[in-house]
Amino acid sequence: MTINLLNKITNSEFINKHINHTIKDDTFAAKTLVTINVAKDVFAYGTRFKTTMKNEEIPEEKRPFVASMDLMSGIVTAVLQLGVGYSLANPKIQNKIWDKLFKTCEFKDITKAKKGFSQILALIGSTILAERILVPLIATPCAEQFEKKVLHHETAKRNINNFNFVSMENFEKNITKQ
Amino acid sequence: MKIGTPKVNQYLASSLEKFSEKGGEKVSNYVNAAGKIAVAPLVIMHNPFTNEDKDNRKWAAIKQPVEAVISIAMQIAGLSLLYKGIDSLIKKGKINFKFVEEASKDVSKIPDKIMKACSNDKDKALKMYKEQYEEIFKDRIGAVLTAATYVPVLAVSNKIYPKIADKLVNKNDNKSAK
Repeated sequence: MTINLLNKITNSEFINKHINHTIKDDTFAAKTLVTINVAKDVFAYGTRFKTTMKNEEIPEEKRPFVASMDLMSGIVTAVLQLGVGYSLANPKIQNKIWDKLFKTCEFKDITKAKKGFSQILALIGSTILAERILVPLIATPCAEQFEKKVLHHETAKRNINNFNFVSMENFEKNITKQ
Repeated sequence: MKIGTPKVNQYLASSLEKFSEKGGEKVSNYVNAAGKIAVAPLVIMHNPFTNEDKDNRKWAAIKQPVEAVISIAMQIAGLSLLYKGIDSLIKKGKINFKFVEEASKDVSKIPDKIMKACSNDKDKALKMYKEQYEEIFKDRIGAVLTAATYVPVLAVSNKIYPKIADKLVNKNDNKSAK
């Protein structure tokens, strides 16, 4: 069954065209790598946000900020990673950086090296520069605001809903009896 | 202006060729983990644009490297197994790629870029085309696997990270109290 499914994929026109395009066009290959990375991150941050809010191992007062960081990081990372990654995948920018770094270097196969360079530059730009430096800088104040304005409000509402009115009533009765 | 020393640049140049041959998914995961371990916690802790409580920031910062270590271990183990399985199926001839099969019958279908890189040697070009095709295919399936691993990674990380964060934050608090 797995082999049938894999063969369906490897014989599909869409997948074959996509792979062929990736081989032919280095810029497309670099942009695809960035897009796949962003898609994985958005999925991961969404899952993180959901699980963090339910994670009782994290102290309740810390939970809203940790969860807000996850959600805001997901939103900001998608926008920034695409922006930085796509810009660095641009052949003009790639050529400028290539000349500064590798103009005098020797290569066994310069075509392969240039393909690797275009992908790794877009990847480092989008993953390290955008996701790990710019995203936390922007996401932390956003998370702070989101935590204060949305999550604390929701936590307070949930606490009111979960408040045990029956035991409160019993407590009041006992007080009046005494 | 040139960047870096000639020796370092030559080493980077050789690594680019290897990266291009080996594909992006594993490298992408390594870059991602490196950013999470080395850069993200520092940016979260020393972000000048936020007034968030220091303890809350410590909790969010500690989450990054813990999650990175767990995810890189699971992802690399999973990807290695997956790639081994796909390689073995390809070797046994159980998976066929439509465009590669077409190119083996009609070499004009091999992209010009590969023909040029192989100095128009048809056998060499077909071999390179097939190799690149398989690597990209494995990368795409690998990306789906990486996304799927986030669910168990987060489950494990959510259990472990609060314990580590609690220990580290309390330890620092005790130190500063002394």
